[in-house]
Amino acid sequence: MKTETPMPRTTTPAVESLLRFVNQDLLAESVGKVEPDTPLFEGGWIDSLKILTLIAFLEKRVGRKIPDELIVMDRFRTITVIARSFLES
Amino acid sequence: MITETVTSTTSLPPSELHFDFLVSSDGLPTLGSGACELMRMLDAKFRKAALQAGAEEKHFPTLIPRQTLESTGYFQSFPGYASEVNGPGRAGNYLLSPAVCYHCYQFLADSSVEREMVITCCGKCFRADSISNGHLWEFTMREIVFLGSSTVVLEQRQSWVRKVTCWARALGLDAELSVATDPFFGAQTRGKKLLQQIKELKYELAVPGPAGISMPIASFNLHEELFTEKFKIRLKNGLPLHSGCVAFGLERWYLALTSRHGINRALELVEALK
Repeated sequence: MKTETPMPRTTTPAVESLLRFVNQDLLAESVGKVEPDTPLFEGGWIDSLKILTLIAFLEKRVGRKIPDELIVMDRFRTITVIARSFLES
Repeated sequence: MITETVTSTTSLPPSELHFDFLVSSDGLPTLGSGACELMRMLDAKFRKAALQAGAEEKHFPTLIPRQTLESTGYFQSFPGYASEVNGPGRAGNYLLSPAVCYHCYQFLADSSVEREMVITCCGKCFRADSISNGHLWEFTMREIVFLGSSTVVLEQRQSWVRKVTCWARALGLDAELSVATDPFFGAQTRGKKLLQQIKELKYELAVPGPAGISMPIASFNLHEELFTEKFKIRLKNGLPLHSGCVAFGLERWYLALTSRHGINRALELVEALK
């Protein structure tokens, strides 16, 4: 039987680096791990402490403070969305 | 002492013009006949829509036991907002209700509900923090509270957002919906506040008020399991029970409508509202 080779996921270096931080640091204690397109908040992955750690990581990467008004679902829904909103612009 | 008079261009008799909506320096309103009539009509519309959506009606006391507010975490979330009442022999036991929906959770405490439910209630509410911001200390709030699975509560909220936004626009108000950024329940820390902001737990519908300054006239809130856990309210099938609510500030609807149209046109528009 022919086995199909999975298509390689197209991720950017920013997505990979953010994914590594989230899974290895932020969710170090979690049994499950997230994918680039996993909904982070609907799935309950990120709590009120983790969001601050995540913001601190992003601020360090971009070298400036991220204003509170930019911390909205449209920019934080998934790893891919966060990377696109803050690390790839 | 009356320090502020809010009036609108109306064809009411001159003797009544300046007495339709007066606010004391302590944020206590006195209403004239136009304001009474308009608020009564608005509330009748909201109440009817709630009943049509299957709501059970309740009327709760204006005073709320301290224990109930403590159970909601109110004093941590909104320090300095609540007004204490000192009755004979009951000093410190009661406060003026800052919202009517808290009574619902106390009413349902330690119970199991068969399936989703909707409750509507209206009452006087008091928030002492707002006086310095030019807001009312005492105001009238109609609330629609819904309990059910997270999906049901989210759908209810979205349905009311659509409905109320349509009403406001049909009444000629420039209504804008946005995610609220003011302190909300349980948001004592920056992390909690930002989490609520991202999860869009509170929407506000704002319209231009007197002098064109934007003011919220309704809020649409998701509480997740905050209140159902605190008050031990469960779904009989064992699934997590969520709650949410819609709240209407009736005086603000009056102010928005009369500053836009004047009292007589506002009355006509509300009467014709479908």
